[in-house]
Amino acid sequence: MLAPIDGAPTERAIVIAAQRGSNEAFSALVRIHQRRAYSVVRAIVLSHEDAEDAVQEGFLHAHRALDRFRPDQPFGAWLYRIMANAALDLVRRRKVRDADELPDNIAIPFRDPAESGELRERLQEALLHLTDRQRAVIVLHDIEGFTHGEIGRTLGIPEGTARSDLHHARATLRRLLQNIRSTP
Amino acid sequence: MTDHRWTPSEPELTDALRVHYAPPSDPSYWESLEARILLHVARGGPIEGWWSALAGMARPALAAAAVLVFVAGAAVFHTRQLDARNAYASVISAAPPSVETAARSSSVPDGDATIDYILSH
Repeated sequence: MLAPIDGAPTERAIVIAAQRGSNEAFSALVRIHQRRAYSVVRAIVLSHEDAEDAVQEGFLHAHRALDRFRPDQPFGAWLYRIMANAALDLVRRRKVRDADELPDNIAIPFRDPAESGELRERLQEALLHLTDRQRAVIVLHDIEGFTHGEIGRTLGIPEGTARSDLHHARATLRRLLQNIRSTP
Repeated sequence: MTDHRWTPSEPELTDALRVHYAPPSDPSYWESLEARILLHVARGGPIEGWWSALAGMARPALAAAAVLVFVAGAAVFHTRQLDARNAYASVISAAPPSVETAARSSSVPDGDATIDYILSH
């Protein structure tokens, strides 16, 4: 999990410089936030490739909206909300475009983990049984360490909904991941 | 052969999720992604393929086609009007038939005139 960086005075200065048109400052913001931005969008989209596309779109939207950002707010929260919207938008577009090609577009793990082969395969399949929002909530909470409130603000849903989605996501995964065969 | 089965605990499930969603760890990947993001921002959007360019041209092309159809229709209509006007003018300005022809055609049927001609010779 990345250390929180919101609210640091140096970042505020960088944001103001970027708002004044400094490309160098915007590059610095990309460098600071791209990893977590990737994690936020990766929690929503189904593949690494889609996550890359969503991150690029998210930064493009952020750049266009930069003059509307108030520097007294935490930049990260604002940016990740934009990222989440870019990812949700991409998921919607993919669903329309790939309606007939779903089997070819199943989640592709970025790297081969050293874990039970069956657990990996069944987890990948089980994740497809979650709704987009449940998948995003469980990943943002359990992996990225977002609080329910942060998840709610990022995904634009009430905190209680985030809590309930997390509960249902865990229950579904527990139900679908029983009786895993051990790797010899 | 024994078939061992197990159900992952909550921490094991979280670990599996962490592995599944792990971001790339290679620093060069992030340098490359940063460069791609900045290029994307500088361009103001994705590079469009020729099909996107064609799709973008579809609307102006349809408008141009509609204008072309309208102009062609107007030209055909105008030509037909001219033809009709010329035909009418030619009828009006044509020389009237001779008095003899006019008189014969009005008083004696063509068949009777022919029989008269044959009998007289």
